[in-house]
Amino acid sequence: MADQYRIAQPKDYYRQFLEKDVRPDNRGLGEYRATVMNIGCVSTAEGSSLVKIGNTTVMCGIKAEVAEPGVDGKNGYLVPNVELSPLCSANFRPGPPGELAQVLSQNMADLIADSQCVKLENLCVCPGKLVWVLHIDLVCLDYDGNLMDACTLAMMSALKSTSLPVVTVDEESGEIKTDPSSRTLLPVSCCPVSTTLIVFDNKLLLVDPTSEEESLATGAVTVVTEGKNVCSIYKPGGTPLTDKQIRDCIERGFIRGKEARSLIEETLCSVDR
Amino acid sequence: MASFIVVKKEDLEKKQNVEPCHTLRCLTSELGCLTRQDGSVSLSQGDTTSLAVVYGPAEVRISRELIDRATVELVYKPKVGLPRPADRKREQIMKSIFEATIITNLHPRSSITIILQETEDLGSNLACCINAACLALLDAAVNMSFMVAAVAVSVADEGQIKLDPSKNDEEKGRASITFVFDSVDLNVVSIVTSGKFSQIEYKAGLELAREASQKVFQFFKDSMSRKLIR
Amino acid sequence: MEKHIGCLVMPGDVLDCIKPVEENKKVILGPGLIEDGNFIKISKPGILKFRQPGVYWIDCHQKRYVPAKNDSVIGIITQKPGDIFRVDIGGSELASLSYLSFEGATKRNRPDVKIGDIVYAKLLVANKDMEPELVCIDSHGRSSGMGVIRKGGFLFHCHINLARKLLNPECVVLKQLGRRFKFEIAVGINGRVWVKANNEIQTIAMANAVMASELMNNVQIETMCKKLSKVSSGIDED
Repeated sequence: MADQYRIAQPKDYYRQFLEKDVRPDNRGLGEYRATVMNIGCVSTAEGSSLVKIGNTTVMCGIKAEVAEPGVDGKNGYLVPNVELSPLCSANFRPGPPGELAQVLSQNMADLIADSQCVKLENLCVCPGKLVWVLHIDLVCLDYDGNLMDACTLAMMSALKSTSLPVVTVDEESGEIKTDPSSRTLLPVSCCPVSTTLIVFDNKLLLVDPTSEEESLATGAVTVVTEGKNVCSIYKPGGTPLTDKQIRDCIERGFIRGKEARSLIEETLCSVDR
Repeated sequence: MASFIVVKKEDLEKKQNVEPCHTLRCLTSELGCLTRQDGSVSLSQGDTTSLAVVYGPAEVRISRELIDRATVELVYKPKVGLPRPADRKREQIMKSIFEATIITNLHPRSSITIILQETEDLGSNLACCINAACLALLDAAVNMSFMVAAVAVSVADEGQIKLDPSKNDEEKGRASITFVFDSVDLNVVSIVTSGKFSQIEYKAGLELAREASQKVFQFFKDSMSRKLIR
Repeated sequence: MEKHIGCLVMPGDVLDCIKPVEENKKVILGPGLIEDGNFIKISKPGILKFRQPGVYWIDCHQKRYVPAKNDSVIGIITQKPGDIFRVDIGGSELASLSYLSFEGATKRNRPDVKIGDIVYAKLLVANKDMEPELVCIDSHGRSSGMGVIRKGGFLFHCHINLARKLLNPECVVLKQLGRRFKFEIAVGINGRVWVKANNEIQTIAMANAVMASELMNNVQIETMCKKLSKVSSGIDED
C-alpha cells in the first residue's frame, strides 16, 4: 500500500514523513547518507578514487600526458569531464554528453579555478616546452541524486592521490625521458568540499538529496567550502530563499566540509602509497 | 541616421576606473527593438549590452511537451563562436530562474522560448542577460509570479566590494558574485559565484546588491510605463 | 480602493485593496490577475482597469494571442484531416473547426473550404487544457457574419491591443476612414485584420492607415485620414 501511495502521491508521501522531521529512508533532514571512499582503485591511472554516497557511485580516474604549453608557456591543463551514460540511470541517453553532464563538467572546472587547489604553474615540466595535461574523467556508475557532491569528493580525493612520473628533457636533442620508478605527488594546496541541499515545498531544506527527492525539489543550493572561505555558492534559480536559509546552507557546508576532509585524510592514510 | 563615436581603449579604461563603486552603471533599454517576436529588448548596463527575445506561449515540440505546464526553453548565444560548456551552465542557471518566475501551469502543452544574444560583454554579463530576459518577458506580457533583478558585485584583493563591476574589476578582483532577487520580498532567487570569498564579504555584497536591486526594479517599471502610458 | 485603478502594476504586486471574498459582493478577475490564497496578485505588467460592479483586469500590451471562449477570431485553414479543419489562430496550438459548423452544412452538403482560406469564426471551446474549437454559426445555426472570407482583400497581423481598439464601437480611426472611403474590414481579436477596398492601392492604404493609427491620438488620426483622402482623390484623377 505504501509503495503505491509513494508512486501516486510522492509529495504527500514525503510531507507526512517530513512533518515528523524524518525522511523516508530514515535520515534526519540535515543528515548525509553513508559516504564510502576508496582511493587508488585504478592501477593504470595516475590517480583514482571511487566514491559512494548512499547509492550514488562515482569513479574518478586521472590520466596524465605531456603536451606543448599555450602562449603563456608555463601553465598546464586540467580537463575535467563527467560522463553520465545510460549505465547509471534510465534518464540518460547514449550519445554526446547531455546538458547535465556538460554543466557538471563545467562546475568541476570552475571549482578547480575558484579554489586554486591545483596551481597550473605546478604542472609545468619544462618552461615553454612541456607541460602536464591532466584528464580528470568522472564516470557515474549509479545515479541516485547528489551527483555534484559525489563528483567533487571523487575528484578531490583522486587529485590528492595523483602522482606524476619524473620527466626530464634533454637540452640538446630535445628528447623526452620518463622515469617510471620515481614519482612525485601532485601538489594540491587545498581541498574544497561541496554540499548540496534541496528546497522542498518552498520552505524545507534537505541535505544530500536522493534522485527521488531531486525530482520533487523546488530548488537547490550547492555550497563549496574550503577552510574558512567559501569557494562558491551555486543556486541556479528555484524558490527564492531568505538570508537566514542561505546562512543555514553555508553553515551546513562548513560542517560537511570538515567531515569530508577528515574522511579523505583517513582514507589516504590507510592506503598504502 | 546612424552615427558612430570612436572610443579609445585607454579612455574607456580610464573612464571605468573613476566610476564610483557603490552605484550601478547607467541602465538603458529599448523595448520592442525587433518586430516579429512576441517580446524583445536590448538592454545596456553601462557598456555591457545584451539582446533578449521571447516567444510564447507558442507551439512546443512533441518530445519536450509537458502535460501540466509550459516548457521553458532558453538559448544563449555568445558573441563569437559556438556555445561552450560555460555557456551551457549559464543557460541552465537562467532557465531555472525563469522556470521559477513564469507561472508555467497557466499554459500547459506550450513552450516559452527565451533567446539571449550577448552583444557586448564589458563586465557583469550574466546579470545583464538575466535583466534583459526579465524585461523581454515583461514586454511579451508572459504571466509571471514575480520579477527578477540581477546585480553583480566583485570583491577586490583587499576585500573592497564593488557593485556592478566592469570587465576590468572582474579580472583584477579576487571573486565576483551575481545575486538574483525576486521583486516581492527581495529574497535570493539565484547566486552564482566565482573565486574565494569570506562570509563577511558575502554578507556585505548581499546588502549592497539588495539595495541596488530596488533600482533595477524601478527601472523595469519606468521602462514599462514608457511603453504603456502615452 | 480606487487608488490602484488606472495605474501601472507589475507582476508580483499584491492588490491588498481587493479581497477575493467580500460579503455580498462578487469580484470577477480578468486576465493578468491571479488569486493566491487571501490575496490577489498581478501576473502581467499593465494598467489595472475596473468596471462596475466588480470586474478587474489588466490592460496589457501583448502580441501573442491566448484563446479565450466566445472570442471572434480570424484564422487560416492549414490542414484538412478528415471531418475537421485545423485552423491557425495564432495561439499555441491549432484550433479545430468541424465541417458541420457552417451555415447550411450537412453530411451531404459539405462546405467548400480549401487549405489557405481565411475564416472568421468564434471560439466555442477555449481552455488551457483542451484544444481550442471554432464554430462558424451562432446558436440558432445561422452564420451571422461568420464563415469563409473569399473575396480577395488583404490580411495583416497587428498587436492584440490595436485589434481591441478597432473592435471598440467608438473607434476613431474606423469612423474617420469610413466617412471618406468605401471598404470592408474584419477584425479578429487574435490580432488579425482583413481589409478590402475598391482596388489594391486603396486596400493597402487602408491597411497602412489602420496599422499606423496604433501609436496616434485622435487628432493625429483625423489629420492622417484627411491627408489620405486628399492623396487618394489625387490618384483617382490620374
